[in-house]
Amino acid sequence: MEELTAAKFKRVDRSRFDTDAMVRPTVTYWQDAWRRLKKNPVAVFAMLLLILCFLLMALGPVINGQEYVKINALMKNKGASAEHWFGTDFLGRDLFCRVWVGARASLAVALGCTAIQIVVGSAYGGIMAYFGGWIDEVMMRIVEILTSMPSLLLTMLVMMVMGNNLIALLFAMCMTSWCGTARHMRGMIMQLRESEYVMAAETLGANPAWIIAKHLVPNTLSILILNVATSIPNYIFTEASLSFLGLGLKDPVISLGVLISNGQSVLDLYPSQIFFPALVLCIIVLGFNLLGDGLRDALDPRLRQ
Amino acid sequence: MDKLLEVKDLKVSYHTYAGEVQSVRGVSFDVNEGEAVAIVGESGCGKSVTSKSIMGLIKTPPGEIKKGSEILYKGRNILDFTQKEWSEYRGNEVSIIFQDALASLNPTMTVGKQIVENLMMHRSMSKKEAFEEAVRLLKLVGIPNAEERVNQYPHEYSGGMRQRAMIAIAYACQPNLLIADEPTTALDVTIQAQIMDLIKDLQKKMNTAVILITHDLGVVANIASRIVVMYSGKIVERGFRDDIFYRPKHPYTCALLKAVPRLDLSNKQKLASIEGTPPDLISPPKGCPFCTRCEYCMDICCEQAPMTTHFEDGHEAACWLHHPLAPKDNLPFKTEECK
Amino acid sequence: MLKYTARRFLEMIFTLFIIATGTFFLLAAVPGDALAERAEHLPEKVRVNLYARYGLDKPVMERYFITMNGMLHGNFGESVIFEGETVSDIVKTKGPVSARLGIQQMALGITLGLALGIVAAMKKGTWVDYSIVCLSILLISIPHLIFGILLQRVFAGELHWFPTIGWPKGDLWEVWFGGWKYTILPTLTGCFVYIANYARLLKTSMLDVMNQEYILTAESKGLSKWQVMRRHILRNSFIPVVTNLPMSIAMCITGSYFIEKIFAIPGFGKYYVEAIGGRDVCIVMGQTVITAAIYIAVVFLTDILYTLVDPRIRIRGGKK
Repeated sequence: MEELTAAKFKRVDRSRFDTDAMVRPTVTYWQDAWRRLKKNPVAVFAMLLLILCFLLMALGPVINGQEYVKINALMKNKGASAEHWFGTDFLGRDLFCRVWVGARASLAVALGCTAIQIVVGSAYGGIMAYFGGWIDEVMMRIVEILTSMPSLLLTMLVMMVMGNNLIALLFAMCMTSWCGTARHMRGMIMQLRESEYVMAAETLGANPAWIIAKHLVPNTLSILILNVATSIPNYIFTEASLSFLGLGLKDPVISLGVLISNGQSVLDLYPSQIFFPALVLCIIVLGFNLLGDGLRDALDPRLRQ
Repeated sequence: MDKLLEVKDLKVSYHTYAGEVQSVRGVSFDVNEGEAVAIVGESGCGKSVTSKSIMGLIKTPPGEIKKGSEILYKGRNILDFTQKEWSEYRGNEVSIIFQDALASLNPTMTVGKQIVENLMMHRSMSKKEAFEEAVRLLKLVGIPNAEERVNQYPHEYSGGMRQRAMIAIAYACQPNLLIADEPTTALDVTIQAQIMDLIKDLQKKMNTAVILITHDLGVVANIASRIVVMYSGKIVERGFRDDIFYRPKHPYTCALLKAVPRLDLSNKQKLASIEGTPPDLISPPKGCPFCTRCEYCMDICCEQAPMTTHFEDGHEAACWLHHPLAPKDNLPFKTEECK
Repeated sequence: MLKYTARRFLEMIFTLFIIATGTFFLLAAVPGDALAERAEHLPEKVRVNLYARYGLDKPVMERYFITMNGMLHGNFGESVIFEGETVSDIVKTKGPVSARLGIQQMALGITLGLALGIVAAMKKGTWVDYSIVCLSILLISIPHLIFGILLQRVFAGELHWFPTIGWPKGDLWEVWFGGWKYTILPTLTGCFVYIANYARLLKTSMLDVMNQEYILTAESKGLSKWQVMRRHILRNSFIPVVTNLPMSIAMCITGSYFIEKIFAIPGFGKYYVEAIGGRDVCIVMGQTVITAAIYIAVVFLTDILYTLVDPRIRIRGGKK
């Protein structure tokens, strides 16, 4: 230890201290969420898996040089080979290409439905929470009625009325799903309106736009992100189930659901024709589910450390 | 008087993503039987972590009680307790009340059941006896209509009554030591005084030792016989109540005293606040932790941790100003304002 | 309480009325009708008679009033595509089949799910926790459809442990408790989704409760880990589980359709979808109203259950 000298006992000029200095950098909610997501190996794995799937979807037919519509009478119902990686279907079409092209449609439908669900749900929920009173009461009753109805009935009827096309499919699959989002948003906004920090912001003279931008959006965004992550796999499932009922998209438009239901008809003879589309469907859904789970942990402010 | 509890060189850290937060950095103090000791300090100084360590409530991970720490209860180191020994110790020998009574009571269990639970754990009583005892305890802590109240849920109680119910739970088995962790912070000022009186009353009646944890020196004035002042995970000063109130030896204690509203001062004197914030405990400063906020800071303060200076009656303070080489003029401890 | 129940009952009647009306007009909007296929090659006179027999010759509004009037008297009418059958026949014969399948799935799935959830929460951060979480995510990533086909192929097709399709038939005992070998695969197919959902739900909720301060209070009373778990953590973490039940039951009602189709089980769901496909108004209306009524009743029961589990919740409009 150094010798203690009288010189060391001189008063210091305190102005050189910044007494309120923050040693740690401040981390925003989103930075923190992103950091935690990156640290979660499962979520990173899911993201890589999804990126791989997107690449295959985008490039699918290019990779093995086959065409997904080319009929080859000599190559019917073949198993997996070096030329046809996933084998061929009953018309000799390359299944690898068809699976990834089909996945495009499945994903597009899922994304479209999710977008509709989020937009309609948020708007409806926002209107309910904003107006309150009898408008809220009536709109809530509508939601209750829609949720009490078997969703399969609505979906099937809409498909039957509008026919087997993409618009009908989007509409039919969104018939009831937005109700959940609407309820969530309503609850969240009502809770926010009551909350003291919004009251504080109002007292400080913040205008509505500021409150929406700085309080409402950040607080509801995490719920919406989770909603998106869980809805996409659900829509992929529903699309496949509808095809199974013969109600979804129809050949020549292909989706994973169409491929699975085609494969199911030849299940006993050529199991690989259902195996590959089903596998790809499961992998995509697994990717979204794992990512959703990681997001749930990352976005939960209670788990912040 | 015998020593009931002795904390020796307690070090507790929390592991967070940003690094190891050294919440408590070598704290030692003792509590005699039947004595009330106050631990005073601002938020984040490690006082609650100290109290949780004494109850064995530090979750590991993320918490960690460092090797070499000792907490001796009646001569036995509680940090080496087995599960069974903990069960006998908690609730029976030592109990705790927390700041927020609403959060500390199980919302889906009647208050009576929560008291009975403690009684049945440590006393061989029938359920009926335990319920009668619970009613008696509720009466003891001053809850009106105890016979009805015993079957109500915490949300049906008012804030002050909830804290009273917490005290009833804590006193159920007549513990030797009660830890009160900011028991009045969440309450109205009028209720605060009632709760403090109740704690003092029970302490006298049952000869329970009390560790009172608070950030408000005003609260401890008429209950604690000794006071420990903590800052940034360390003890900066300790001593008997009168020594701390009338002869403080640490600038931080002085600053705290100046922040207590007093009736005997003229209106012209303002309440003084302490400027700045405490240091980040992820990288604690190597010198005195208070140096950047201290009016009397010297060069040495920022370089080397101060040694403890002992005064009469176990009064001690960790401050360089008591070093023989330090300037003796204009010291905080001699000026009138600090009294 | 009584007032509350009465109000809920009236609301239910109103909701069911709207649902029935909506269903009727949606069905009416579907191009074609239940008889179109059957009547196509019949001579004109027979066709007119046939339409008259089922009342399909009347204008939409008149049919609507006839149907609603019948429903008020508990008579949903006669099926067109399943000749001679009425809604009450279908409820009587297919109801128990679907009910058994649903109850078995949910009982097995929810029990296993809750057990796994508790284990995952208690072993938080260990490999046990991670494998349970991964398992449950894997389980919900495989659709019923594929799972059913897979199980059917492996355990019935290859190993011959169970029959491929079918369902116990016969007297009441047989229908409810007999023929386990038939019910095992469909039950397994359906239960996985519950295992996954409930394990995750309970785990999250338990971790939430474990961070509450009253758990520290409980620990500071000297209760053992197990006592704290049983008396304080479990009860409070079950609240979200209870609120999730109606969702599960609704899911079970529609979800079972695919299982019934794969395993050729003569259940409610299978007939429902066929009736919708065949535009069989009376069957669809009947089944829709019954399903919706079950759903609303379950929601009501959940609300009651909720007040029992959580004393902080009080029924609106009820006694203080």
